[in-house]
Amino acid sequence: MTAATYPIISGDYERGGEASKQLKTLLKKIGADAAAVRRTMIAAYEAEMNVVIHAQDGAMHVAVDPEQVEIAVIDGGPGIPNIDRALSEGFSTAPAEARELGFGAGMGLPNIRRNSDRFSIHSGEGRGTQLRFMVRLRPAAPGVTAPNSVAIQDGRCNQCLRCLHACPTQATRVRGGKPLILEHLCVDCTACAEACPSNVFGFPGQTALPEISPETVLVLPASLLGQLGPGVSFADVEQALAELGFRNVRVSAAWENALAEAVRTHAADAAAAGPVLSPVCPAVVNLVRLRFPSLLPQVAPFLTPIEAARDEITGPHAVFVAPCSAQYTALAAPNGLTRTDVLAPAAIMPALLPRVKRRAHPPAAAEDATVTPLRIGGMDSVTRFLEDVENGQATDCRVVELYACPEGCFGAPIWKTHPALARARAEAALDGHEETGAAVRRIRDLTPRGGLRLDADMGRAMLKLGEIDRLTRTLPGRDCGVCGAPTCAALAEDTVRGETAVEACPYREMEDAGNKRRESLHES
Amino acid sequence: MNLAEVAERIGARILNPERAREVDVDRVHAGDRMSDLLSHVSDTTLLVTHIANHGLVRLIELMDAPGICLVNGAAPDQLVEEAARRCGTVLLVSPASLFETCGRLHRCLGAGGEGAAAR
Repeated sequence: MTAATYPIISGDYERGGEASKQLKTLLKKIGADAAAVRRTMIAAYEAEMNVVIHAQDGAMHVAVDPEQVEIAVIDGGPGIPNIDRALSEGFSTAPAEARELGFGAGMGLPNIRRNSDRFSIHSGEGRGTQLRFMVRLRPAAPGVTAPNSVAIQDGRCNQCLRCLHACPTQATRVRGGKPLILEHLCVDCTACAEACPSNVFGFPGQTALPEISPETVLVLPASLLGQLGPGVSFADVEQALAELGFRNVRVSAAWENALAEAVRTHAADAAAAGPVLSPVCPAVVNLVRLRFPSLLPQVAPFLTPIEAARDEITGPHAVFVAPCSAQYTALAAPNGLTRTDVLAPAAIMPALLPRVKRRAHPPAAAEDATVTPLRIGGMDSVTRFLEDVENGQATDCRVVELYACPEGCFGAPIWKTHPALARARAEAALDGHEETGAAVRRIRDLTPRGGLRLDADMGRAMLKLGEIDRLTRTLPGRDCGVCGAPTCAALAEDTVRGETAVEACPYREMEDAGNKRRESLHES
Repeated sequence: MNLAEVAERIGARILNPERAREVDVDRVHAGDRMSDLLSHVSDTTLLVTHIANHGLVRLIELMDAPGICLVNGAAPDQLVEEAARRCGTVLLVSPASLFETCGRLHRCLGAGGEGAAAR
């Protein structure tokens, strides 16, 4: 990896092209292919002349490795008020002096875009323009395994096999007592990690804070702000991070909102039939590429927000917190222009949490009659939420609607239409329809349901409880469900209740024998 | 067809004839917009343009254009000539207008034209 910065002097037509020339010398030195050099030169020279013609002084930052050349051309203004117009072919504001030299055809930016493999522009009236593009120096080799970042921690797998069934692309296998990932199938979605009860699938990323400088930019996922407890404002977080030395903090929401806006505009113009798929999540983009390639034309032509963030930040040092493997993969791709650290949340949360000041009385909006209820659907989600409430969490929400089915009754298994779509259709159907019903107050309090009783006699029930514990310890603890009971403890309980026998477990003797073998090995 | 032959057939003068016989072209692109010229450079393309000032220097230096033909008998900047010598770009000057020069080039290189038939 080689990096360099070349100055660009505004208004100096004689020297305009010097920066590109130096880059060419660099590319020739490493033996880059002639066609790639030409593409790079077209883009670099156009970008350089844009600064010479239109802007205050700037610089060309380049980073070259054997695969690609990355270029950022940054100037001191005056900025481009309307980027879309600047990108349209034939639009130019170049002065006569430039036109004499053959510039000002209004083809500069389109030409750069056409000759790059990635291109982005950040500008606005009254501020500088940042143009960033990448040219591949050799074609991407076909059939290379797609990068993914799902991490596996040895020694934790109890072979329950849930990850196998959770994977949407059948990329997981459990072999040799632990999962392995077929890289060509993995889309980095973390469905395996979600399904795993034993935390076998770790979070990628650095686990310690890197050294930082005043120029370091920290980018937090918006989802991290939801992990700090109730009553925390962004200003509180900023203050806590300042104590850790981070002076420039950005939140992914900026790029997520920008994408949402861009996709809305795109969808208004898009002629294609079928829904426009917004590339919000890199794992879903990977999934579409792998399993639904026929839908690729429907994916709106934008980078995912995390890629856009990575592209926009061109300072000397960027620190990202990646909440998932898909974002980690996008962020960990080589970035020659900016030293980039990608942290696992574990690197920052322990330092951040105690420093964030929470307001004594979180605005739970108790008196606010217009409070929007939290709507939660799906039994896993509901159970988890109720557990949280029992543990004293969720003190900052007032009204919660809990449904057994995802998306409420629209997700009931009887229905065939996708629950989210069904909800949207029902809401559209009822738009303007008025009807009144009444809420009916209960006259007797709810009572607990009994559930399972081991024995009518409490003493005997205690004995049975002890027996269940003993039996559970003899079982392998995989909770695989092959015996017909959901967990090893449930099989033990069913056995004590006389409904089945521990022999229903196909692994018991196998693992018993294995244990004995291990024990005898230790003794000898 | 090599550029020495091309020059002879279209009545152009070659400013740096050293490499003219080694450079073969089969395509012509004419224009005065730098973006177009940049986009159409290839190892076998002859560029035809009115631009004869230092804007052309970068085109020569950065793009390795094999040959450039100026028109209307225009003598290029000294800088252009130096850059062409340095980078091995063959520089032609046609006495005719851009339109006429292109017409001659078409007859000489165009598919089925006299030039192609003569070979």
